Amino acid sequence: MKRVEALEVLAGAKGEGVSVATMRAIADWHALGGAPDLSLDNRGCMGAAASLGLGIALARPERRVIVIDGDGSLLMQLGGLASVAGAAPANFYHFVLVNGVYETSGQQPIPAADVIDFAAMALGAGYQDAFEFDDAAVLRERLPSIPIRRGRY
Amino acid sequence: MADSVRESLVESVPAAVLHGEITKLGVTHVLTVPDTHQKSLLASLSADASLTLLTLSTEDEAICVNAGLWIGGAEPLVIIQNVGLFAAMNALRGVAIDMRAPTCLLVGQYGRDVSLPVEANASSAVRLIEPVLRAVDVPIYRIDREADVGVLSKAFEQSRTERRPVVVLVSAPTS
Repeated sequence: MKRVEALEVLAGAKGEGVSVATMRAIADWHALGGAPDLSLDNRGCMGAAASLGLGIALARPERRVIVIDGDGSLLMQLGGLASVAGAAPANFYHFVLVNGVYETSGQQPIPAADVIDFAAMALGAGYQDAFEFDDAAVLRERLPSIPIRRGRY
Repeated sequence: MADSVRESLVESVPAAVLHGEITKLGVTHVLTVPDTHQKSLLASLSADASLTLLTLSTEDEAICVNAGLWIGGAEPLVIIQNVGLFAAMNALRGVAIDMRAPTCLLVGQYGRDVSLPVEANASSAVRLIEPVLRAVDVPIYRIDREADVGVLSKAFEQSRTERRPVVVLVSAPTS
């Protein structure tokens, strides 16, 4: 699944939710219409997207918050998984686009790129649910049925 | 604003006094990576049902969650220690400064020998925190004794009106 395909599905599901996108996903997110309003771009602090989204989710529990993270970015504030799980916001959706590389700096592989398991780390940190998708059609089909529980992924 | 090094010794401030100041500010969320210097304050805040005390994994996160809460309309305060602020410099720069997110930080001078002036302390975290903050243009206030607690409201207001990070250094362990 290409990044733009995943983002297209998420943009269609955003509705009145608030999005926080980071790094290379930002341009695609805007191009796909995911950020006409209620959207925050995190360009200045790699790894900050989940924490920014957590704050918004806690302040505005009536809004769905969609965090669009990257694998290299998440690794820079990996402890944020535990922070999110501890706060357990029921309106927090954390999407991690996994391509295994630091894209902007020249496609260097992230640490443990071949073996790292972000869903397992999220569950290990205390997220209630974690799902992995590698097909946009399956993501589109299953996204609406993800159960409403705390600290999702 | 007091941003020059003082020669005088410092005194412990009762946690209840600082807690009272925080209550007056209308703080909704206190974000912390626990500070040894302010542990009695954190214990007091943990029993306060009028606000949410949230412990984060890192000080970077505390600064970023602070920004998210502010965007959402809440009134957060960050409580960390000096070494944590050094660890969080990129979030301080990239989020609090560049995004102009109001960020008031109550920072314990962990490791300070209270019998010595700041510049004579063995701890580099104690000695260097003010020069580093001045280098990134972050206003600094100090609570050296109980009479200084009013600077917290000044710092909190400045962080909001100027939309920037403002640091209040807590010189001695709270009692």
